[in-house]
This record gives sequence, C-alpha cells and structure tokens, in this order.
Amino acid sequence: MIVSFKDIFKMTGILIVSFCAVFVCALFLNFYLDVLGIEDMITTETGKIFYEAQCNTAKMVSALSGGCLLLTTVVLLCFYVGHYIDTHKKQLGILKALGYSRIAIAKDFSVFGFVVLAGTGLGYFCAHLLMPYFYKVQNKEKYLPQFEVAYHPGLCMALVVFPAVFFALLAVGYSFHRLKLPALSLIREKTVQRVVKAKKESDLPFLTELKKGNVRQRKSLVFFITFAVFCFSSMMQMSGSMDELGSRMMGIMTMSIGVVLACVTLFIATTSVMKANEKTITMMRVFGYDAKDCTKAVLGGYRPWAYLGFALGSVYQYVLLKFAVRVIFADMEGIPDYQFDFPAMCITLIVFVLLYEAVQFVYTRNMAKVSVKEIMLE
Amino acid sequence: MIKIENVHKAYGAADSRNEVLKGISLDIEEGDFVVILGTSGSGKSTLLNVISGLESADKGKVCYDTKDLSVMNEDDLTKFRKEYIGYIFQQYFLLPNLSVDKNVKMGADLAGNKNYREIIKAIGLDGKEKKYPHELSGGEQQRVSVARALAKKPKVLYLDEPTGALDEETGRLVLDYICKLKRDLGFTMVMVTHNQNIADMANTVISMNSGKIVKTWHNERPKTAYEIAW
Repeated sequence: MIVSFKDIFKMTGILIVSFCAVFVCALFLNFYLDVLGIEDMITTETGKIFYEAQCNTAKMVSALSGGCLLLTTVVLLCFYVGHYIDTHKKQLGILKALGYSRIAIAKDFSVFGFVVLAGTGLGYFCAHLLMPYFYKVQNKEKYLPQFEVAYHPGLCMALVVFPAVFFALLAVGYSFHRLKLPALSLIREKTVQRVVKAKKESDLPFLTELKKGNVRQRKSLVFFITFAVFCFSSMMQMSGSMDELGSRMMGIMTMSIGVVLACVTLFIATTSVMKANEKTITMMRVFGYDAKDCTKAVLGGYRPWAYLGFALGSVYQYVLLKFAVRVIFADMEGIPDYQFDFPAMCITLIVFVLLYEAVQFVYTRNMAKVSVKEIMLE
Repeated sequence: MIKIENVHKAYGAADSRNEVLKGISLDIEEGDFVVILGTSGSGKSTLLNVISGLESADKGKVCYDTKDLSVMNEDDLTKFRKEYIGYIFQQYFLLPNLSVDKNVKMGADLAGNKNYREIIKAIGLDGKEKKYPHELSGGEQQRVSVARALAKKPKVLYLDEPTGALDEETGRLVLDYICKLKRDLGFTMVMVTHNQNIADMANTVISMNSGKIVKTWHNERPKTAYEIAW
C-alpha cells in the first residue's frame, strides 16, 4: 500500500473544511426538517411568515455555505492528491515499471476519503451537540410552537457517508488521471509544464516580468486567491450584520467559516505558488536577489487580485443581504432595512491587510531560509 | 585576489560525519582561469560552493581582497554574490516561463546593465531573444546561462561542469564563447570538471582527491577549446 493512513494525517485542511461544511449544513437542514414537521401546528399569521423565513434561511445558508465549502473541498482534495503524486513520483514510477496497473495504484488513494469521513462525522456530531441551543436561539420569539431535535438518518447518510464515498471516488479518479505519465517519466520526476508565453513583448525590469509571468502561468491560483479573499471579505462583513438580521450565533458562525475558508485556501494557494517557484527562488538567491525581491516577484503579482476579491466580497455581501431583507424577510416585522456597513468594511479591510501582509512576511522569511546549495545537488 | 586558508567542511551528524574538505589552502589571482579537477566525491563541487559563498566553511578562511566570507551572515553573502559572483551550472537552470532576453535580464538588472543585448549577440544567440528555453537546444540553453551570468558583470565566474550535459561539438562551442568573453571582459574564472582535457585550457589546474589538493600545476600556453582533446 503506497498511500498510508500516516499520509492522511497531513490533510488537516480537508478535515477542517469538511467539518465546517457538515456542521453548518447539519444545523440548518436538521432544523429545516424539524420545522417542516410542525407546519400544520402553526396557526398564527406571524408564525407562518416566520416559518417561511426560517425555511428560506435554512435552505439559503445550507446551499451557499455547503456549496462553497464543497467546492473548496474538491479543490483541496485534488491539490493534496496532485501534491502527493508530485512528491512520490519515483516510488509511483517504480510501481508502474514493476507492472502495477494505473487503477491498482490509484485505488490506494481511496484512503483519502477517510479524512472527509472524519471531518463530516465530527461536524455532524458537533452540530447535534449544539442543536438544542441553536433551536432555542432560532425560536427565541416563540413564533413557532415548541419542537424537539429529531434525528434524521437520511440526513446523516447525505452529509456524512455520501461525501466520504464521493471524495474517495474522486481521489481515485483524479489520481488515475494524474498517473497517466509513462513509468520512466515518473521515475525521472519529469513534470509536463505548459509554458504560457507573453502576448506582447515588453521591456520591463526582470522582477516585474517575472511577477507577470507567474500570474500568466498560474491563472487557477489567481482564482483561488481571489476566492479566498472574497470569502473572507463577504463573510466577515456579513457576520457584523447577522447580529441585527439573525442572531449573534449565526454571526460568529459566519465569521468563523469565512476566516477558516480564507486561511485554508490562501495557505494552499500560497504554498502551491512557492512550491512551483522553488527553483526560480533558489536561482534568484544564488544570483544575489534578496528574500524581499523573491517575494515581490513570486507572490507580488497576486496582490491586486486579492484586493479585487475583497472588493467583490464587499459588493456580494451587500447585494445578498439587501436581497434577504427585501425578499426573504419582506413580510417580517422588526427587520430593519439593510444599509451598507462602512465601519464593518473598514475593520474587515484592516484585518485583511494585516493578515495578508503577515502571510507575505512569513513566506519572505521562509525564502531567506532556502538552501541555495540544494540546486547544485540536482 | 581570492585567498583560501585551511578550509574544512563536513556533513552529517557527529557519529556519521563525512569530512569533504580537509584543510584546503590556495590563492587565485585576478584574471586567472582555474580548473579544479577531480573524480566524483573528491570534494571539488563543495570547494566551489564554499569559495563562491553558496555555503559556509566549518573552519578556515575565504577572503576576497579584504572581504572575509567566513564571518558573513546569509544576507551579507547574498549581497556579496550580487556584487562579485556569476554562476554557470551543468543543468542550466533557466527560468522556463521567461524568454531568452528576460532570462539574461535576470543577471543584467542586478548590475544595472542596460547593454545586456550585446552579450546575447556575442554569445551567438542573436535573433533568438524571444524564444523560450524549451524551444532551444541544450547548447543554446547553456549559452543563455552564460549570457545570464556575464550580464551581471561578475568579478569571478564559477562554472560547475558546464559542458557535462553537452555533446563534444556543442561543448567546444560553449567553452570557446566563454573564453572569448573572458579575454574581452577580463573576469576571473573557476571551473569544476572531471574532464582532464579541459584542464589544458586553464592557467592553473588543481587536482583534488578525498577532500585534499593533491597536485597544482600551471600551463605555460593554455590551449583553446578547439585544440584540446575531448
């Protein structure tokens, strides 16, 4: 067995994201299913409006956060599988050369599904622990009749078992695809890299050229970094408004998910950029470029995209909350009209700048530690 | 110009320590062409790393004029490499997503060299400036790495088996270009190789074995790249 259980312990990113996804979805969907069961018992007009609003909120929150987190888990899993194959090319190549079929090797990657199972299981369990309190908060005005937390086996299957099976299959499928290289190429650790040429030749300084070249070469990372900051910006700002529109608990949950999602995605994307540029960084260091120059050239090109993500996140949360207030909670009394929260945006921006620059600082320090001798040993 | 005094270097933990350099001392004069000869494991590449400031010696001194490398920290060594050193490696190590002239610019920008295109021309790559490394042959790629190293106007050029991955014809061509540029620009050159024939091109030859210098000799009339056997 080439992929061992020891390897899956390194996949904490997937564990955290799948935990968050199932935790949120289990809370809201279980609540939704239980509320559906008491629909006939609701007699008052306010109760009916409140019921509708709660159902819509549950569906919207589950679909939005569940969808976002599902997408992130897919990306993370592919990243981990790809990374594992890249760092174990020689061993995998030898197995292929010995006569192991692609599918026989790829089958081993199904153990990655256990990480998802651990995350989803833990998320489901924690959601159930919190459910009594969550129900109480959601119905604090007592618009709905008293109802208890019920266990829904179907929901457990859908949120815990199915995702684990799906991700195990995805890991097998993706590794099968990545293992298509001939055995010799894997043994020689050859990477097929497509070079994206510049459309227009320019006479910019080397560092600027490298910065542009990096972004051009890795457009998918542009998306992930923009997405990470988008999540951070929208969820942090949204959490501030949740106090008024929902509950403090929902606010804290939204903020935690935003921060976790952004940090995990940003960490993976930045590590991936650094890994892909290891040789470039080493050569720059050999030639006498300092660590700051290296960071500027390797990570600097993504900064404008990060700020774009922040701006998009701000607009998105405004449109979403405006829509929620005007459409979903339209008939509810006591819900104030939503106005753009400028102080919340400023605080979020400051936190974001500090966090982003801290990440850049940490990676600059790591670059300074790159052993320039390594390259000579190849 | 370069003074190396009793340099020691070892790798590994205390119980399995492997001493690679065992008290190396030598002087390299300005404008010299030094070849370090030796079999695999003789310590020649480690010596090159230590004297070029890529790694520190455990014991001993490496001095460039008045600068002592053995007391420098990593930042100082980076600054030192920026001002003094050019490198050419066996595996070229060009940046794959940048064209030829951008790769050469990597060296040129460090020295504020605006005339780097002249070096591209001098190395015989005129008309290939916009090509990318994967579109060039091995010999052409090595010439780009030569241009990149020289565009930063180094005082000392270090070459680690520069013809190791090239065939005879291309190897001679690359060496010939390097020697012509050395004559024109006057830099000091230190080359590590296991090819004894290349040693005939140098002024000074240092033969190493098991971490020690076993023989040093000078060539009265160094040969050209086309005069040596291969």
